[in-house]
Amino acid sequence: MKTLLKNGRILDPSVNADFIGSVLIEDDQIVEVGPTVDETDVEETYDCTGFWITPGLVDLHAHLREPGQDQKETIITGTQSAAAGGFTTVCCMPNTTPALDRPELIDYILDRAASPEAGGVFVAPVGALTTDLKNEKLADLAALKRAGVIAVSDEGAPIQDSWLMTRAMETCRMLDLPIMAHCEDLTLSRNGSINEGAMSSLLGLQGIPRTAEEVMVMRNCLLSLNTGCEVHIMRVSTWGAVEMIRQAKYLGAPVTCETCPPYFTLTDDQVGEFDVNYKTTPPLRTNIDIDLLCQALADGTIDCISSDHSPHAPFEVLVPFDQAPFGFVGFETAVAITLTHLIHRGVLSPLEAIRKLSTNPAKILRLEAGTLQPGETPVAQVTIIDPDVEWTFDVHKTFSKGKNTPYHGHKFKGKPVATFCGGEIYRDALFGADRYVTVD
Amino acid sequence: MSVRHLLGVRRLDTIQIQELIEVSAEFRRRMKAGEALPQFPGKVAGLLFFEGSTRTRVSFERAAFALGIQVTNFTGQGSSMAKGETLRDTILTLRQELLDTIVVRHPSCGSPQLVADFFRRPVINAGDGEHEHPTQALGDALTILLRKGRIQGLTVAIVGDVMHSRVARSNAWLLSKLGAKVRFVGPNTLLPSNCALLPGEPYFKLSEGLEGADVVMCLRLQKERMAQGLLSSIGEYRRLYQVNERTLRPAAKDVIVMHPGPINRGVELDDATADGPRSVILDQVESAVYTRAAVLFWALGGDPDAVLDGATSVFEEAEA
Repeated sequence: MKTLLKNGRILDPSVNADFIGSVLIEDDQIVEVGPTVDETDVEETYDCTGFWITPGLVDLHAHLREPGQDQKETIITGTQSAAAGGFTTVCCMPNTTPALDRPELIDYILDRAASPEAGGVFVAPVGALTTDLKNEKLADLAALKRAGVIAVSDEGAPIQDSWLMTRAMETCRMLDLPIMAHCEDLTLSRNGSINEGAMSSLLGLQGIPRTAEEVMVMRNCLLSLNTGCEVHIMRVSTWGAVEMIRQAKYLGAPVTCETCPPYFTLTDDQVGEFDVNYKTTPPLRTNIDIDLLCQALADGTIDCISSDHSPHAPFEVLVPFDQAPFGFVGFETAVAITLTHLIHRGVLSPLEAIRKLSTNPAKILRLEAGTLQPGETPVAQVTIIDPDVEWTFDVHKTFSKGKNTPYHGHKFKGKPVATFCGGEIYRDALFGADRYVTVD
Repeated sequence: MSVRHLLGVRRLDTIQIQELIEVSAEFRRRMKAGEALPQFPGKVAGLLFFEGSTRTRVSFERAAFALGIQVTNFTGQGSSMAKGETLRDTILTLRQELLDTIVVRHPSCGSPQLVADFFRRPVINAGDGEHEHPTQALGDALTILLRKGRIQGLTVAIVGDVMHSRVARSNAWLLSKLGAKVRFVGPNTLLPSNCALLPGEPYFKLSEGLEGADVVMCLRLQKERMAQGLLSSIGEYRRLYQVNERTLRPAAKDVIVMHPGPINRGVELDDATADGPRSVILDQVESAVYTRAAVLFWALGGDPDAVLDGATSVFEEAEA
């Protein structure tokens, strides 16, 4: 069976390619990419004129909530949402119930992700750095690695004890296992729920100072420099954190980092009258942070963009602001926000933006993804994006169980319209029937 | 007509504030003269207190009594909330139990908005976390008006733990909307981290903050601030920020001293000042009853114009 994705703009950052051409998929493999390809015996043709054809997108940071929190999301609904968002690989975070600290739980995740009802994307589990994420002792990291985790993390329970974090890095360096670091000094963030500043002062809410993030970014960068452990800094939200990372990279620390769409689009004052849809951690910051994060995205200090997909059940969100959980759903808006706010505004070129959504995250965790080159991935992973379609985001039409988002009703320009992982796993209504032709 | 909630002072316009104060003043006159207030037979107000309170609750009950409103009390303890019911379900239940209005105190900032969204009948904020306490501020404004004859042009120093004070925020909004100049006076650790969106100027030195002040409003110092590391000791605070006869010297000659209570005597305020001629602390308690009656009256659909017909304006009285 041959499938042809025809006449799209091929954007393959893995080989710095940007040209009009086609991708030929045979069975579940990419067999040819070029300005023209061999069209004999093609049975399905997707006319991609005006669309971008990119490597399947890779999300380093998402919450699928299983096991134990299926009121928020399941691996089935989460992966369906990811596929609709253009992702073909999703790294799921370990702060579940129980935490992903044992090989059996990794097996469970992989089984569920492979079930036929799931979205068809690759799920790459991130293991818990400490047992039950209690930060008392390291989890059995070698066993976790053997079970298939691609990294380990203290997500949701940031390690405060620098001695423990140093031992974790020494161990992970030995195991060649990257650490994804949740950088938050809990003695500074306390029980805060919004960026500390004029808005927290106005509303009387306990603030989370930017230093709560920056102090831990700096510590983790220094520990990475000294241990040689690969550290991926998650969710960079302040210009100060960017400067720490820039300095650490300059000094040669094996450090990478991500930011997430809310941090380059929204600010703390948008919390308005205690709108819990704007509560996330680290909290939304200020316009200065947005400007300098955009600069850091453009100059490469920020390596990638993750969704930080954080679904919650509606009843968990309909509570006073300080009691509400942190985070937003993110799979089905990440690409649209990147297009609208970074590409169409000239912050990133299309090729660089796709690099931050596919090739770079794949490289950081050494995943076989992020490229259109034949033979480089286990199966064909391709995302088709309509860069120009103008649409309004309706969270009630999403696949995720979580409906917590600040973007409901936002107008975007651009959207992923089809996703392939092996075969087609998602095709949007915006991908017209007239563009899809089969030959019997 | 939209539902009449009183969620905070920040979002009230000046005309509405003035109207509520006028009604409070008229209710004061009537109650002192032994005249009846407008009656609301058959109306039931729920006092929903998720945080301890005696003075505010009693004050609301007294006000409701004057208006012929029946009151039913709820507290956080011993209620369905203690059994894990969500705030939303509690409010939906109270709505279905046909309460006409809810007076709510809750430790979470912004929660009265949420209560209003679910209840869809009038909600009165009786204190939400460190955000607002609008009926306290309305009563304080009436107290100042009765004593000073005006608010326009006054300098008001709010002294102490402004960061954690809903009284400070509501008063700052209300008094600045009525034309006063508001100062926040206190140690760096107890002032808001950033005052850019608040209507007050920060001062660290008490003597500078009280310079020329017409009104000094002390705030209660919570003992837990020491445990949080925000202050070294009571003694240090007293030496730097206690309002007393000596530290009041830079203030205006006819300065009045206020405190929302309960007072930590000998800490934020000394005995001589708390009980002296400049103190209007007990007047504040009394004014709050009239104000709460005015707010309940307004929330339940009372017509301020009908009450104020023929009455002398408490603002114009001042100008005369």
